[in-house]
Amino acid sequence: MTPLVQAEDLTKDFANGSRALRAVDAVSLEVGAGQVLGVVGESGSGKSTLGRLLLRLLEPSAGITRIDGQDLAALRPRALRRFRRNMQMVFQDPFASLNARMTVGDALAEPLRLHRGLRGPALKEASGALLEQVGLTREHLHRYPRAFSGGQRQRVAIARALASQPRFIVADEPVSALDVSIQAEVVNLLQDLQRSLGLALLLISHDLSIVEMVADRVMVLYLGRVMETADTEALFARPSHPYTAALMQAAPGARRRESRLVLSGEVPSPLDPPSGCVFRTRCPFAVADCAAARPVLRPVGPGHLKACIRDGLPL
Amino acid sequence: MLSTDLAEAAPTLRIDGLQTSFHTDSGIVRAVSDVSLAVRHGETLAVVGESGSGKSVTGLTVMRLLGRTAARIESGQVLLRGRDGRVVDLLALPERQMAKVRGRDVAMVFQDPMSSLNPVFPVGEQIAETIRIHRGASRAEARREAVALLEQVGISDPESRVDAFPHQLSGGMRQRVMIAIALACDPLLLIADEPTTALDVTIQAQIVALLRRLQLERAMAMIFVTHDLKLVEEIADQVAVMYAGQVVEQGPTAEVLARPLHPYTKALLDCVPHGRAAGRMRPIPGALPNPLAPPQGCRFHPRCPHAMPACVAAVPALEQAALDRVVRCIRWREVA
Repeated sequence: MTPLVQAEDLTKDFANGSRALRAVDAVSLEVGAGQVLGVVGESGSGKSTLGRLLLRLLEPSAGITRIDGQDLAALRPRALRRFRRNMQMVFQDPFASLNARMTVGDALAEPLRLHRGLRGPALKEASGALLEQVGLTREHLHRYPRAFSGGQRQRVAIARALASQPRFIVADEPVSALDVSIQAEVVNLLQDLQRSLGLALLLISHDLSIVEMVADRVMVLYLGRVMETADTEALFARPSHPYTAALMQAAPGARRRESRLVLSGEVPSPLDPPSGCVFRTRCPFAVADCAAARPVLRPVGPGHLKACIRDGLPL
Repeated sequence: MLSTDLAEAAPTLRIDGLQTSFHTDSGIVRAVSDVSLAVRHGETLAVVGESGSGKSVTGLTVMRLLGRTAARIESGQVLLRGRDGRVVDLLALPERQMAKVRGRDVAMVFQDPMSSLNPVFPVGEQIAETIRIHRGASRAEARREAVALLEQVGISDPESRVDAFPHQLSGGMRQRVMIAIALACDPLLLIADEPTTALDVTIQAQIVALLRRLQLERAMAMIFVTHDLKLVEEIADQVAVMYAGQVVEQGPTAEVLARPLHPYTKALLDCVPHGRAAGRMRPIPGALPNPLAPPQGCRFHPRCPHAMPACVAAVPALEQAALDRVVRCIRWREVA
């Protein structure tokens, strides 16, 4: 069975004066129905751009995206608009992503009318059902976003994403703007809905501990390139790329080790990325060969790939 | 040398019974109610809490950086022990004298370095300004010191970076510049309000390591305001947990995290992910209280699994649970 979401060599260049900034560089991935792929990386890693490319909110410079076998580039604008009901997004900030002048009921009615053609009592019924699905009540339909707490707003945003009955959802830092005590309930809700509806979910997060909880597979990005990808348990038990290990150890309260891998310096400018391996300028294990050629993703275990030429590193 | 020993033990800063309110059109927000804290030199106190806990307002009250029109300091004292050993109440100082204390004796680092730095001046000038104002140094001296400070906070090539504008630096470097400004006059106390929240994790690790090193070298007192309990473990000797304007628990970091006494501290530790094997995440039920109308009695009772009628009847007092631990819960013996 082919996976619901397939991307091959997705690449995005942004023009910056005369120079091009490559935000996403030849990323391939698959997400099956009922599967969660976690995408982690720091600022500038390309994780949000990747999410937008997959949903065709941005036009890729190269590469192919297929959703349910359909090549998105082959769709004309009208057909693409219709196809959009299959794929939706949940954004980071529920204060910015909901229209303050629309009641929650109106916000939900829009996609229900547009994508499912509902009218009248059926529309009202479906809006109420959506709110209940995310743990709110029908009474909330007449309220404005300002009447809700951050956690409740993110529930509304999730309900809105579900309105068109999508099969693929990109959640870009869905709990980062929420207070700690509220994050857990939104994570649980996303996970419950993803499982019960059999959604393919791309979960973008800088928080490794949340990705570890929710994702089946994880992809680690740095300066637009895939550093490592593996099943979640394998990745966290045996990180194989120095960047993955450093990211895990940099997280506060990370499992204690005798010597912590602390990266020096900062992410280089994407306008002028290092030759060869883009991570080599911060890598404590870099050798001369790392500058020579771009490392290819190669297997280090079943379904476990890394883009690093070195082996047997003390990570 | 009894007198020295006493000086060692005396706190650099003691906050006593602080109440800070905001008078808004919709009513009075008691942002900080009856907060008492102390921090000694060479020690880091973490103040941890979520939105509306009062953690930032506490720091801003100490610095007297709250606007006078909306914010009112209703009662309390903020006692700073000066370099000469004399204790002054910062809340009672005239503004002119407070301006001298700010930056020289007590300095602050904020969450967002881009909005704290002036975009139209080179960073070196902004560091030098502090040195010239508080220490009366000449321009040339102040510039030399700015370069030295940039080097101390780990900025490479400080001779040329001293002339850089804030927008030419990365977020991590800007925060290093903010730290350099804060440390320019060798303050007795540094208040760091979520200094790493806007930064990536690998940069956060660098800044935390930098703050720890500088604090040890200078034996400063530090108040580290954060929402992140895991970060507290990395940096603080003592921790005060705040909820809805009150301190609910306080004690040595290792003990509080290993054996929390207040149900909120316990729930806050439980609600962060504990790895895949631990199963589903355990959220704290309900929402953060409305600051205009906090719950009666214990402010955490509507979300607390241990609440009973007595919890609603009266605001629990801070109880001494051990020699160095306090807790604001009438049921802490059963909960712990």
